[in-house]
Amino acid sequence: MTAVRTGLATPNARSAPTESRGQIGAGPRRGPAGARMLFAQSAVLAAAVCFWWLVSSRVGADSVPTPAQTFRALATLSGQGDFWTALLDTSLTWAIGITVCSAVGIPVGLFVGSNRFASRSTRFVFDFLRTIPPVALVPLGLLLYGPTREMVLLLVISGAIWPLLIQSVYAAQQQEALLSDVARSFRLTRRSRFVDIFWPSSLPFVMSGLRVTGTICLLLTVSGELLGGAPGIGTQIQQALNAVDNPRMYAGVIAAACLGVAVNVLLGVLRTRVLRWHPSVRGGRR
Amino acid sequence: MMWRRIRSVPVEAWLPAVLLGLWWLASAGSTDLYFPSLSDILLRFREDWFFEHVATDLVPSLRVLGLGYLVAVLAGLLLGVALGLGRRAEEACRPLIEFLRAIPGVALLPVFIVLFGLDTEMKVVLIATGAVWPVLLNTIDGVRSVEPLLLDVARAFRLSRWQRLRRIVLPSAGPQIFAGARTALAIAVIVMVVGETVGGSGGIGYFLLNAQRNFAITSMWATIIALGILGYLLNVLFRIVEAVALRWHRLQRARLRPEGTW
Repeated sequence: MTAVRTGLATPNARSAPTESRGQIGAGPRRGPAGARMLFAQSAVLAAAVCFWWLVSSRVGADSVPTPAQTFRALATLSGQGDFWTALLDTSLTWAIGITVCSAVGIPVGLFVGSNRFASRSTRFVFDFLRTIPPVALVPLGLLLYGPTREMVLLLVISGAIWPLLIQSVYAAQQQEALLSDVARSFRLTRRSRFVDIFWPSSLPFVMSGLRVTGTICLLLTVSGELLGGAPGIGTQIQQALNAVDNPRMYAGVIAAACLGVAVNVLLGVLRTRVLRWHPSVRGGRR
Repeated sequence: MMWRRIRSVPVEAWLPAVLLGLWWLASAGSTDLYFPSLSDILLRFREDWFFEHVATDLVPSLRVLGLGYLVAVLAGLLLGVALGLGRRAEEACRPLIEFLRAIPGVALLPVFIVLFGLDTEMKVVLIATGAVWPVLLNTIDGVRSVEPLLLDVARAFRLSRWQRLRRIVLPSAGPQIFAGARTALAIAVIVMVVGETVGGSGGIGYFLLNAQRNFAITSMWATIIALGILGYLLNVLFRIVEAVALRWHRLQRARLRPEGTW
């Protein structure tokens, strides 16, 4: 097999920071090239809408509503209080979920990762628990809490914490040995070793775990609402399905997607903020 | 190597054993409706899953999962390679991809029910659309971060396009693609269970929700355990496939870095 990851990889990647990637958060390119790209992006989006419209005219507007019907339904929805309450409910559940996941997952993961005995003892338990599909707990949550936010949170926290926890374990295990040697020879205090060395070098891993956790959090929030009927956007979609109101159902899906975009942007911004000093952010590379 | 494995068993096994023991003791003789004793759950587990419901519920679930996951990985890989190689195309498609992947896969369930009914087809499509994104994004990223020097060498040796893809791009993107595929597997299992809870034609998810609705709480717990074991086995299987496919990568990393604990 071809030898690819050679020692050359790192210096070479560093010396080519000019390749900026067109990702969200990297900032739009300016000048005529940027304008052309903006045009191309709009064209792709327009093509997607056209494709949707084509599909809907082929299968019939009663099973796939046309884009126009959907956006009209979205406009109607956005004039209704329930809709905003549902959106707010989902966001709040998500926010509580990710806060609890971070508050528990990061410290536990870092501790377990920095202690060899702890990481070997918990290995099997974590491996097993994280592979239980979290939606398996919906029935239990329904029995215990009924269709409420607590039920959704049980599902969200038990399912979404794992990527963050596992990444935190990795983070603590992948500490550069050289750095801790330097810290020791400089006789840094425990506090300073943690604040100046351990924590910053863990952050990139923690942030990438947080991104996955954020996405899964939203997925599980909507799943819990959809399956269990807790207040939120998932329930709105389910109600539209029951009422055979397809445009409203599609509008709900679009609203959920907007929530998803908001989550991604939020976590992306947080990452660039927190990792401003890191070569991966400074160089404009991911 | 083997000897070290055997010696590490007690260190890795004591905590699971203690936790199980605690559960056993705490739940022994339990009369609580919602938390039956572990011994009852295990008995029920044996009755339900050896092998009464294997053919009616487990096999359909695995079939749907396998099909949906396969579609997701293949589509993600093909699209990802295409978009990863064509920088402009990728940049043009990015807003659309960002929007589509932001849809929580489960929210599409009602849409697909209307489109495909409650059958296998619906579940497969639902799993595929939910699980494709990690594979797609990681493939794009992996294909793009191929060492430029290697591509230059390949060009200098006049490797054909296919050879470049097969010998350089795919191997070097491999670890990242597998990382995406692993996230995709977890998402696929979630979406599978959700998809099945609405279908009426068998499947673990259906069985689980049905147990809850009929207040067959012991059955419900047994199914949760079955799902946990299923998830664990899938993960082990994935790890074996990954280890075989990325053997060269691990060997190289082992040279650069001493063996980690995980």
